[in-house]
Amino acid sequence: MTGTLIPALARGRAAAPAVAGPDRVAEASAPAALEAPRISPQSRRRRLGRGRLFPGARLAGPLLVLLVWQVAASAGLLDPRLLTGPDVVAVSGWGLLQDGTLATHVGASLGRAVLGLALGTVAGVVLAVVAGLTRVGESLVDGTLQVKRAIPNLALIPLLILWLGIGEEFKVTIVALGVLIPIYINTYSALTGIDTKHIELAESLGLTRWQYVRSVLLPGALPGFFVGFRLAVVGSWMALIVVETINATSGIGYMMSQAQLYAQSDIILVGLVVYGIFGFTSDALVRLLERRVLSWRRTLAS
Amino acid sequence: MATHPRELTAPPAVLRTTALRRSFGERHVLDGVNLEIGRGEFVALIGRSGSGKSTLLRAVAGLDDTVDGSGEVLVPERVSLVFQDSRLLPWLRLLDNVVLGQSGAAARERGRAMLAEVGLAGRERAWPHELSGGEQQRAALARSLVGEPQLLLADEPFGALDALTRIRMHALLRALLRTHGPAVLLVTHDVDEAVLLADRVLVIEDGAFSLDLRIDLPAERTAEHPDVSRYRARLLAALGIGAPVTSPASLSGRTSS
Ligand SMILES: Nc1ncnc2c1ncn2[C@@H]1O[C@H](COP(=O)(O)OP(=O)(O)OP(=O)(O)O)[C@@H](O)[C@H]1O
Ligand SMILES: [Mg+2]
Repeated sequence: MTGTLIPALARGRAAAPAVAGPDRVAEASAPAALEAPRISPQSRRRRLGRGRLFPGARLAGPLLVLLVWQVAASAGLLDPRLLTGPDVVAVSGWGLLQDGTLATHVGASLGRAVLGLALGTVAGVVLAVVAGLTRVGESLVDGTLQVKRAIPNLALIPLLILWLGIGEEFKVTIVALGVLIPIYINTYSALTGIDTKHIELAESLGLTRWQYVRSVLLPGALPGFFVGFRLAVVGSWMALIVVETINATSGIGYMMSQAQLYAQSDIILVGLVVYGIFGFTSDALVRLLERRVLSWRRTLAS
Repeated sequence: MATHPRELTAPPAVLRTTALRRSFGERHVLDGVNLEIGRGEFVALIGRSGSGKSTLLRAVAGLDDTVDGSGEVLVPERVSLVFQDSRLLPWLRLLDNVVLGQSGAAARERGRAMLAEVGLAGRERAWPHELSGGEQQRAALARSLVGEPQLLLADEPFGALDALTRIRMHALLRALLRTHGPAVLLVTHDVDEAVLLADRVLVIEDGAFSLDLRIDLPAERTAEHPDVSRYRARLLAALGIGAPVTSPASLSGRTSS
């Protein structure tokens, strides 16, 4: 269609004199109006949604970065003491994998992350449900957590070390606290922001309180919970990095701070890659879970 | 009103409101409404926008405990409600929506049968967003009837549908009422809809009924029935709209001035 229109326009413009008044334009288009309108097969409409995602599409960006990095390293543009190439990182990573060092550290980190995430999620959901379902709960819990929210987690570290020591309890607690807040905030606001039309429907159907909570309130709040959960998963890795660089004897963070002492940039990079893989995989898993659980939704995100 | 002679012969009432008042601040939206609906009776309620139709319906449904007011509302045990939008819960599949709030082992079977009755057999596992507007509203009808209510309250249930779909819904509603036989209180903007469906049409104005018109037409009626236009004219007059002036004399009179 455009293929036939554009030349016609171009011709019209070329033929028009320098000062083309409105009468001129009318004259020029008059013969065209007499001809039968050109018709051509309708091409499918341009879709304004975001279109389909091809499988593995999210890997494209990271792979490109990797490629550029390798090219720069091979070309000798990088000082290996500060930044080694991905090939060296891969070899070091392979070595750490072979002697079991990596497995130990990854296991320690993963354990802390999963435990902290689980505890924080349960606590966040329970508090959100208590605050979202009862006025008493709301007045007791919500204000308290809003205050907690204003205090950065890292500021609690000295106090928590004093209370819990520097062992596993302390690390898991920090992770759980980082998880709790986003879960709570999003779940609570989803619970209290439920559409009054749905409440009215439940009342008109004579649902019991428990039926209402189970069939209307909780499923309605699930999308909000997932927003919080995705933030929480990212948050748990962040908290982990911080606590593992303080006073740890195992974990990816510990491995990296040791490597920093001996200026082993390849091992630091192995740590970063592992954190990256963790973050990426966990986010993908959460997306997958979300898609399955919220399959009733039809949004641009899918 | 309570000692109305008609009560002796009329079927027992399923709904009775006595001196029903509801106000929002200084506005008395319902000002002493007395309404009685007999068993199986179909009553349509019309009135200008803002005249208090929804307020009355919500009072009868018991959905207005935050609104100021007084008066007595007697309703049967099983009352159900249809809204202008279908209000299907998007996270429940169709059958689960229809049987929401129903208990007992036979509930799902009844739900399935009800979906078939409204022409949605085979769609039990569909998500609400996969249905067209008319289909969603049919599912809402199925949900409202699955509990065999004695009174069905409907607030402009077809208001959001196109004219063609609305005509089909009228036929469907008639068929459903024949089988299930609840009394109906239908709020509508559409005078024709009221005349075509109801046994009785109420016009609400200034917080009370200004007209209570019995429609003496056969149950299966069409817009072509000669009396339909007569009833329509009366209702339009009661709404203060008046029949359109179409006589040639008045037309020529206009053009000459
Ligand atoms: N929650 C409310 N707060 C304040 N005023 C209200 C409220 N609900 C209704 N009203 C007022 O009460 C009056 C009657 O409202 P209602 O919804 O019953 O009208 P209606 O007859 O159903 O109108 P429509 O045909 O437009 O739906 C209106 O003037 C409206 O502004
Ligand atoms: Mg209304």
